[in-house]
Amino acid sequence: MSLTVRSATGESVQLSDTPFAQGGEAAVHAVPRFPGVVVKLYHPQVLQKRADTLRAKIDAMSSDPKLVSLKQHPGLAWPRFSVFDERGQWRGYAMRKAAGVRMNVLAHAMAYREQFPNLDRPAVVAYLLSLLGTLQELHTAGVMVGDYNLANFLCDPNSDTVTLIDCDSWQVNAAGKTFRCPVAAPDMLAPELQGKELGKVNRTLESEYFSLAILLFKALMLGRHPYDVVGGAGPVENIRKGYFPYGQGGGGIPKGPWFNIWSHLPFKLKEQLIGTFKEGAPNASARTSIPEWIDFLKLYQRELGKGWHDTQIKPANPKTKEYRGTQSISQPIAA
Amino acid sequence: MFAFANFMNTPKETTMNESHDDLIDNPTPRCPVALVLDTSGSMSGQPIEQLNAGIELFIDEVKRDDLARWSVDLAVYTAGGLADCIQSFIGVEQIVGFSPLDASGGTPLGQATRMALDDLEARKKSYRDAGVPYYQPWLVLISDGAPDYGWQDAAQRASALSAQRKLVSLPIGVQGADLSVLSQFSSKPAVALDGLKFRELFQWLSASMARVSASTSSDASVHLPSVDSWGSV
Repeated sequence: MSLTVRSATGESVQLSDTPFAQGGEAAVHAVPRFPGVVVKLYHPQVLQKRADTLRAKIDAMSSDPKLVSLKQHPGLAWPRFSVFDERGQWRGYAMRKAAGVRMNVLAHAMAYREQFPNLDRPAVVAYLLSLLGTLQELHTAGVMVGDYNLANFLCDPNSDTVTLIDCDSWQVNAAGKTFRCPVAAPDMLAPELQGKELGKVNRTLESEYFSLAILLFKALMLGRHPYDVVGGAGPVENIRKGYFPYGQGGGGIPKGPWFNIWSHLPFKLKEQLIGTFKEGAPNASARTSIPEWIDFLKLYQRELGKGWHDTQIKPANPKTKEYRGTQSISQPIAA
Repeated sequence: MFAFANFMNTPKETTMNESHDDLIDNPTPRCPVALVLDTSGSMSGQPIEQLNAGIELFIDEVKRDDLARWSVDLAVYTAGGLADCIQSFIGVEQIVGFSPLDASGGTPLGQATRMALDDLEARKKSYRDAGVPYYQPWLVLISDGAPDYGWQDAAQRASALSAQRKLVSLPIGVQGADLSVLSQFSSKPAVALDGLKFRELFQWLSASMARVSASTSSDASVHLPSVDSWGSV
């Protein structure tokens, strides 16, 4: 059975029979006539319960003039327009087709080797800076991602760009209304949101910064979760307690290459991670902001370029020399 | 080693010590799966052949998934004459071969389940010791009959864990199975397998593993694929 959908203006297109992506809520189909476009169709049982709510959000996201720059943003698969079936029933929306490999494959101690065989620290940092730039624009527009699911961040293996998908789950202020983000994985969620009914609470810049720091740590540490600790509680409980094993007064770092990798990160970056994961767990104002992360990662990028840090994704031995960046005052630096 | 007679693993993983390295190098949240298989005499012929094919398919399909292959840990127990662990917990990625099971003897399913539950506990402790998060473990119990004597305590344990959401316990009855007895191994009723559709069953199981390992958190609930294609509920 071939699927036909049309836009509000009545223009109809055929969809590919088999979806190229499928989840619990919806399936995404290619549009053979427009290779750069895909259509997300919600499953009938989802529509039965929430069609009106979903449609209101998609219509607001795609029509609010304040958000028009996001619609055109190359790093986002933002909803463009609603689509209807042949009987005129609302079914979902059209968006730009995003390409790339899910970030949970890149940030993975094993899986990265197939898709990113030459992965090194400069490449990871470049992806993260691309992502941070887009997140900053979203925050400026009042959009909170809320659900920091690494599978929704696509890394293009042929460039350093990251594209964000699944935008319809985010918290958006549009058409005079706040649409909340009802989902998140507990192990990516700030402590103040743990156990809350997410459809009823607002995400804040601070809750974004906490989730983002977990993402950054995972990307820099090959998928290891910052709150993985040996001998007891799982990551969610450690988030609640603010128990981060790295840095002074920690303990319980898992065996393996993790401490080596950590030791090679620049001191200033580690300071921000420690501050966000320890003090920042109970105290939301202590979390590193996106502009700060951008500064620290750009500094890391420059210093990697100067050969000050190991560029390997998994350095074999812990760092021996003193970090040269702390000595920058006494070091002559070429302009 | 006798215990590994049916499975071939990558050489470095055949000793206990070294298989622990996997939890050090690979911090991917784990989904442990214990298969408890009735390999008693009544399973001989077609049923055991189809079961063997199903297990092989399961291993292949999990290995083909770019995330599940690093996440699913498998252990296999047989109840045929004696209860035996023919494969202790190992990452599916490290399994390089599987030679078919034979069927003979009685059905000590209770004893095999007890072994599986003990090993699951031990495996969970290894995860915690290594700081590796894990998903709810799975116990998949397949039988075409009813267990021999002494199964009630094992059933009770599995069923209690399943009621506490600490275990996904899936008893599956092949034709001729006593479903009311198998159902006592879980807080949910046993499912009757349609004919010998082991292939569909294991396809569903590998699809479920792909969903679990792609779910973002070891604490999140997961929508499993529908069972319509293989169950005859």
